[in-house]
Amino acid sequence: MIYLDNNATTRVAPEAFTAMQPYLTEVYGNPSSAHSLGRRMNVAVERAREQVAELIGAADTSEIVFTSCGSESDNWAIGGFLEQNPARRHIVTTRVEHEAVRNLCVQLGENGCEVTWLEVNENGELNLDDLRQALRRDTVIVSVMLANNETGVLFPMNEIGKIVRENSDAVFHVDGVQAVGKIPIDLKHSEVDLFALSGHKLHAPQGVGALYIREGVKLPPFIIGGGQESGRRAGTSAVPNIVGLGAACALAKNFDEHKKIEALRNKLEDEILSTIPNARLNGTPDRSKRLPNTANISFEYVEGENILVQLDQTGICVSTGSACHSTTRESSPTLRAMNVPYTAAQGSIRFSLSRYNTEDEIDQTLKVLPDIIAKLVEMSPYDKELKALYADRSAAATPSGGKPTFRT
Amino acid sequence: MRYPTDNHRDTFADAFMIVNAGLAAEQFPNLKNVGEAALPNFVGRSASFACGAVARVSLRVGEGQHIVDAKFKVAGCSVLVAALSVLTEQVKNKSTAEAAALAEDLETIKRRLGREAVNRDDCVLLASEALLQAIRAYSDAARDHWDGDDALICTCFGVSERTIESEIQIKKLSTIAEVTRACNAGAGCRSCYPLIEDILEEVNGKW
Repeated sequence: MIYLDNNATTRVAPEAFTAMQPYLTEVYGNPSSAHSLGRRMNVAVERAREQVAELIGAADTSEIVFTSCGSESDNWAIGGFLEQNPARRHIVTTRVEHEAVRNLCVQLGENGCEVTWLEVNENGELNLDDLRQALRRDTVIVSVMLANNETGVLFPMNEIGKIVRENSDAVFHVDGVQAVGKIPIDLKHSEVDLFALSGHKLHAPQGVGALYIREGVKLPPFIIGGGQESGRRAGTSAVPNIVGLGAACALAKNFDEHKKIEALRNKLEDEILSTIPNARLNGTPDRSKRLPNTANISFEYVEGENILVQLDQTGICVSTGSACHSTTRESSPTLRAMNVPYTAAQGSIRFSLSRYNTEDEIDQTLKVLPDIIAKLVEMSPYDKELKALYADRSAAATPSGGKPTFRT
Repeated sequence: MRYPTDNHRDTFADAFMIVNAGLAAEQFPNLKNVGEAALPNFVGRSASFACGAVARVSLRVGEGQHIVDAKFKVAGCSVLVAALSVLTEQVKNKSTAEAAALAEDLETIKRRLGREAVNRDDCVLLASEALLQAIRAYSDAARDHWDGDDALICTCFGVSERTIESEIQIKKLSTIAEVTRACNAGAGCRSCYPLIEDILEEVNGKW
């Protein structure tokens, strides 16, 4: 199995699993209990809180609240702050947010809030002047993701934070789910007020996330109950998961092979783009503005779901932005916002790597992919368009009039 | 680094492969009829505004309205691809009337494709529509080129204009469904529906 779908979820790190194991077996108290087993659980939760705070550069551990997932963190941050500030009803967000933010803002827009949707250009980048102009006196919250889940494009969080501070009284929420563990993050030296993260994107188990709430920012409790998490989110803590998240954060903090992941991603991306004529990159070609692990590539005029199924047959796991594979039967809103033509959006494949991928796996993928694409090109009804693309590339590749190396 | 549970992982991998096996049997390794039927051929197209899928079926038709070859090209999901592969294979050596009946029997196609085709009516319908369009392209051309004494209306069942007129007069028919029941005209690809409509109006008088 070659797993190249790490932006969807990741393998639980063996280190995280080992750290969790006692809390699934012999250490089973309720962290709210006063006896020694309970206290041991509580110590474990607080240790995990330190590990999370350290990874994202929080000024204090009290700024970290554990939740069940990234979506919960996003919903609580935005919904909670609106509830806290009923007088202001203007929200600013982007067209390319994860569903947890996008669909929530759509719903808020239908229920009395005014939402300004910031557009992106064809590279998936924001225009910060648009943001400046969008901010108003009644803007209550600005929610912008740090890294796009589909394309890996990074938004300039610190710059955006400054603009929000200087031009409004709004609170600044960042959906950091896709970025945590992949790039360095230092929240105490930023203007970020709220920051969502999710465990299973960085080799912790599914079912645990966290919300960073900057000291001084007030949110109503997300769940009312027994006063856990300092009264901010009731419900018995999911101790094994929280311990797993802490261990994964410690592991990410000490991880120094991001360059290796990036090199593998670059190899995969470069080789696909240079050898497959109907391949085109989605997202900025400037790699310093993208996550080091993500390559989103469209294979024009063929269907991404077919590519996915065939790669799956050879044991390679990827994602597609194609409409055929989504529950809504709509192609990716992110790619549409970037003005990617639908014949390209339909054939988009997201390759996302992790620390566990090897060069052999990338070589194997590069070996099987061209044949899969060639088969689908042969099957595509867009004969004319494809012929032109393949002819162009052949001509460009052989300026001296040599033999074309591309399949037609 | 090993998981304490590493020895169980292959079992999970096997289970995962089985989930996809049903559709995979009709899928890429065994895909049939990709391409273009030899000229002169008759082409039908279908497309979905909802998902962007595009399908094209080309037929080569021989003596007695028999389909000699059926091929397809497609940019669409696996269900659509598999449906086209199955349908084009089934209609070979069938008459256009038989082929039209196969194309309209969506339930049978879905059963053949198995679990993955459940709730995927739209995808199967696109395959069926492309095939029907190709048959209609043939029927329209055959009607235009017909040089018999009587004008040919239903090419699938070879029913002439005179037959339809006399059926309408004798049996006092007033709808296309009644005409089809009486003489089979319109029971195939239905490309002659507008023509039957015209004859009904003409015989029964306009109102």
